[in-house]
Amino acid sequence: MDTSPAILVRNLRKVYGSKAAVDGLDLEVPRGCFFGFLGPNGAGKTTTIRMLMGLAPPTSGSIELLGLPMPDRAVEIKSRIGLVPDESLLFDHLTGGEFIEFCGRMYGLPRETARVRSAELLSVFQLDGNTSKLISEYSKGMRKRVAMAASLIHRPELFLMDEPFEGVDVVGARLMKELLLDLVRHGATIFLTTHVLEVVERLCDRVAIIDDGKIVTQGMLAELRTGSETLEDAFVRVVGAEHRTEALDWL
Amino acid sequence: MGSRAKAILWAQFRTVRNHLPRSSKWGVVFSLLIGLIWYGGFVTLAIAAAFLMSSPAELGIVAKILSSALFLAFMYWQVIPVLLVSTGSALETKKLLAYPIPKGELFGLEVLLRVSTGIEVLLVLTGAGIGLLLNPRIPKWAPLALVVYTLFNLFVSAGVRDLMVRLFGRKIIRELMVFVFVIAAASPQLLLITGLGRKIRESLVPLPAVAWPWIAAAQLAQGRANPADFGVLALWTVAAYLFGRWQFERGLLFDAEESSASTAAPLAKSRMEPFYRLPRLFCRDPMAALVEKELRFLTRSTRFRLLFLMGFSFGLLIWLPVAFGGSGSHDGWLARNYLVLISVYALLLLSDALFWNVFGFDRSAAQVYFLVPIRMNTVLAAKNWAAVIFVLAEVTIIAIVCLILRFPVHPLRLLQAYAATLTVCLFLMAVGNLSSTYNPKASDPSKSFRSGAGRQTQAALMFFFPVTLFPVVLAYLARYAFATEWAFAGVLAFCGVLGAVLYSVSMQSAVAAAERRKESIITTLSGGESPIGS
Repeated sequence: MDTSPAILVRNLRKVYGSKAAVDGLDLEVPRGCFFGFLGPNGAGKTTTIRMLMGLAPPTSGSIELLGLPMPDRAVEIKSRIGLVPDESLLFDHLTGGEFIEFCGRMYGLPRETARVRSAELLSVFQLDGNTSKLISEYSKGMRKRVAMAASLIHRPELFLMDEPFEGVDVVGARLMKELLLDLVRHGATIFLTTHVLEVVERLCDRVAIIDDGKIVTQGMLAELRTGSETLEDAFVRVVGAEHRTEALDWL
Repeated sequence: MGSRAKAILWAQFRTVRNHLPRSSKWGVVFSLLIGLIWYGGFVTLAIAAAFLMSSPAELGIVAKILSSALFLAFMYWQVIPVLLVSTGSALETKKLLAYPIPKGELFGLEVLLRVSTGIEVLLVLTGAGIGLLLNPRIPKWAPLALVVYTLFNLFVSAGVRDLMVRLFGRKIIRELMVFVFVIAAASPQLLLITGLGRKIRESLVPLPAVAWPWIAAAQLAQGRANPADFGVLALWTVAAYLFGRWQFERGLLFDAEESSASTAAPLAKSRMEPFYRLPRLFCRDPMAALVEKELRFLTRSTRFRLLFLMGFSFGLLIWLPVAFGGSGSHDGWLARNYLVLISVYALLLLSDALFWNVFGFDRSAAQVYFLVPIRMNTVLAAKNWAAVIFVLAEVTIIAIVCLILRFPVHPLRLLQAYAATLTVCLFLMAVGNLSSTYNPKASDPSKSFRSGAGRQTQAALMFFFPVTLFPVVLAYLARYAFATEWAFAGVLAFCGVLGAVLYSVSMQSAVAAAERRKESIITTLSGGESPIGS
């Protein structure tokens, strides 16, 4: 059995002009782990996950996924990972079913298998109500659900998820959480970014917090909190957020 | 073809099929009509080519014209897309990179999609090929030379597209390219002044004509089995493949966001700030705020910046040598009116961003226009005012560059250039406001090259642009007939009044359409891209 980490990142950098969006990131995610990647807006979460997905080339540093180097073995790696990207990667003029089937075929499934699995996934994710509805006509939560459904179609070992619960309703979120926990129980690794700390507290066993392109802390979830601190308190303490509303007196 | 390539084509087919019933019926009918006229013309040309090539009696003519025709085909396929800053359909690699698709399969598809920039050429070549096949005096293998020549063009086109997208996607290099174009435009004049042209011509050893792919392909297509021609065509095709593949793979690694990011620290205040604040001097909010927003948005959009830069740099590159020719004479009709010609070409380039699709080009803001308490005619008028400001700026820059390059800029000609472009602008805005509300198309202003972005835009360019030029043509005809500048001014003024009336009527119609089609416009503009940008 392969014991290499699911994700191993060393000194990863991504520079836009004079600004380093990701600045010397080191990250190790063991296999079979539910990993939460947190950080304030603009901290570098999406840039990191885009580099892991192979959508953006890093300026420097190395990435290994499932023990294979990226981008040298990109095709092999991509066939073993499931992506829940940000919304921009959906094809808006396809229906949900067509998009999931398309993804299945991209992962090399025979057309018939892709079609059958697509229908089953639509049903599980409760998207089968209106099969002729285009993704452009979906609500935000439905778009996330269709992205997650598509990520499952080829039974990947590693999931990279960018804000998978954003805009998803309570019922949909409950379904997705149970499904993800079940996947981890069966040996899959999940790496997700989210702003919903309740999701992290409930699902993740390990977390890393990124701020201004750098990892400020990482480890087991329990280690992050001190005393009776909530995760929110710990997060605010670590990223050093300040509240300034005095300027809005006119409000 | 690989299974993934088939899946991409299937998804593209479903995209078009899903989109058609939801798009404007008039838009579809209009596109079909324009397509019929345009491609009908080329089908006719293809049939004529087939008849010519199939006749044993006409082989003499074929021998004379085939290599030139193939050279023209090459120019049409490779140069026109660059001139129009429009590269045809292309894979949305930034989305498809998420999937495990081998690069070879993606490249194969990309090469196939290059057909989209040369369908017209392909039609005529097919006609010629069929004709050659039917000609009893031509061996049956000969038309294969045209197939290889087509492959050569497809590979070159794939390479050129990726190269241009990358070059113009990089901030510094884009500006450098403009500088190169301007220098190239000035070179005929400079060479004539310094006498360097003659020396260079004398020192250059002429390339053997047979080394060109169009000549080798023409020879082979006529059944002349010369091993040298086989070698030349094969070498060019292999070289084109290597170039295309190399550029494609470099394109896959290209991160447009990274390349367009500023390398300098952000300035506390932009140098463009006085320009952005210009509308505040002439009008009040909300009009001033809207025009200012347009100025800020457009100057920051990669595509618009490229169009604006190319408007004067490429315009000069194309028209100056044509106008002043090898003799450097300033007395010809073209030489006297080159300012108007370059300005009109710049208008053609800018019209894509400024007139035809004003909501689609700035689609993220489209929803806001329907939410804020502002009347739609104010929004459209603001967009039109911004367009006029940019057009005036473009004509001014053209004149300044010409002055720097010591080309003659007569005040009267400059005035005529302003008057002609503004008159054409009125007509373009009248048609553009209607097309923007009836046929909005989601487009990406951060992409330097348009990858198709809708047949309607292309059709509008093909059909309406020549129509909107009619006032200028009329004015020139009047000047020619009456031999006085007053005739030119009079006709242009009359057309200006006509344009203003047309603009006013179309504005009312566009405002009503925007209100009526609000939901449809927002839905259309919120749509993302398909696997193939077309």
